Parts: sequence; C-alpha cells; structure tokens
Amino acid sequence: MYLIPVMCLGILIGRWIFPEKYKKLNERLQTVCTIILIFCMGVTLGSRDNFLGELKALGIQSFLFFLIPTALSVILVFAATRRLMDRRGEVKE
Amino acid sequence: MVILALLALFSGIACGLSGAGASVLSFLTSHVDVILCLLMFLVGISVGLHRGLLTNLRKYHIRIFIIPAGVVAGSLAGGMLCGLVTPFSMGESTAVACGLGWYSLTGVTLGNLAGAQIGSIAFLSNLMREIFSFFCIPILSRRLNSYSCIASAGATSEDTTLPMMIKYTDEETVVLSVINGVICSALVPVLISVCYQIF
Repeated sequence: MYLIPVMCLGILIGRWIFPEKYKKLNERLQTVCTIILIFCMGVTLGSRDNFLGELKALGIQSFLFFLIPTALSVILVFAATRRLMDRRGEVKE
Repeated sequence: MVILALLALFSGIACGLSGAGASVLSFLTSHVDVILCLLMFLVGISVGLHRGLLTNLRKYHIRIFIIPAGVVAGSLAGGMLCGLVTPFSMGESTAVACGLGWYSLTGVTLGNLAGAQIGSIAFLSNLMREIFSFFCIPILSRRLNSYSCIASAGATSEDTTLPMMIKYTDEETVVLSVINGVICSALVPVLISVCYQIF
C-alpha cells in the first residue's frame, strides 16, 4: 500500500513542479523501469525450484484457470462499461 | 514495447534457470520494490501533468465501482466454470480464480490451505494473468475499450501492469486502474478464504 502515497507525491510534483518539457523523458524512464521489472519477474520465475517441471505438469490446468476467469472479467467489464460509461468518462444517464 | 517486454521476460527466465550472474541478479530482484516505487512516482508525475483529471473522475460517481465489481464477478464465474471442467472442488477453483492476478499471495495462501498442487496452479494461473495483461493491453484497448484492460489486469492494475496502461490508454484510465487495483487487492485475501470455505 506504500505505493499509493508515492504515486500521490508524483501527482503533486507533476501538477505543481515538474516541467512539461521533460514529459518524454519521464515516459522513457517509465519504459526502462517496466522492462527491468519484467526482467526481474523472469529471473524470479527461472530461479523457482522445478519451474519447468511445474509448468509441464500443471500448465494446461493453470492455463484454464487463467483463461476462463480473465475472459469472463473482460467480457463483463466491457459490457457494463459500454452500457453505463462512455470512453471519456461521461456517465450515461 | 511488447517485443522488448517479451525479450526481457524470456532473458530473465533464461538467466534465472542458468544462474548466470547470480550476485547481480540477486541484487536486482531484492530491490524490485525500489524500482516499482520509482515507477509509481514517475506514473504519478504523468498523471499530475494531465490537467482537469479530477473533474473528469468526479463524473463517474458511484459507477467507479463498476469495474472492480465486474472483475470480481467475472473471475468468480470463471472459477465456477473451471470447477466443472477440472477435477478440483468448487471451493478450490473459485479460490484460485479469486487471486485476480496476485500470484505470490494466492500461491502461498492456497498452498497452505489446500496443498502444494493447487498452490502451484494458483501461482501459475495468476502469473499467466499478469503476463497476459502485459501483452494484451495494447490489443484490448484498441479492439474493446480501455476499461477492459483494467479487467484483465485485476489486482495488478495498481502496480505492475500500470505502465502498460499509461502507454496504451490515458491518464484517466490510469487513475481508474489504481482505484480498481486497490479495491481488488483488498478483496483478494477475503475472497480466497471465503470461497474456499463456502463452496
């Protein structure tokens, strides 16, 4: 939960102090951080004991447990937001 | 970006499997929180640079809860369906699906509650949800709408998948994404234990 206060601090700095001309630099830094995070996720996975064995034995069942709930979440949210909210946040009355 | 992310993931897995540069990798993985913190700070700056955001968000009112409600209901329904097509009980299946992408917590919790096999499935399936969200956010935002990206990310929409949101959606969606992530993350531990006991 400590991430939320950090983000709020960023919002305040972006709103009052941060020069707009560095917007692109900020976006590039975000990309670098994201790539490092994904790399670290890969390292954590690869270092997990018997990761490939687990993936081989339980991969199909895990895939089903990922695919069905994720697909239904996307479908439900898409249907509900399409009906009740438009793309720019204008709530339909 | 997607190609870069795929390259990063596979090279990370390769490094983890081979154990090459163990000291550097161990330093990097033990400081993931710092990188995530920096990323959230930078994302906050992007949000702060977007003028008129709060006024736009006020228009949602109570309907701001539509997205987390849809995420939880969809995942729960998906867990029930999985319970019908796999050998696992309804309680175990719904508990796995209610991880909402939070693989570390769900894997460990269900490993302790229901055994190593379901714990591993919980870990892998929720990890797949996070990885899928990373790579499908560009497609979902183009083909469906930006709210659908939040739905696939589930509980991870407040941190790890956030940079993809800001790259492929807009600042308004990023704030909705954080709100959804906070609500979902708070619900995950409750949902896992309730689903496991009730069904």
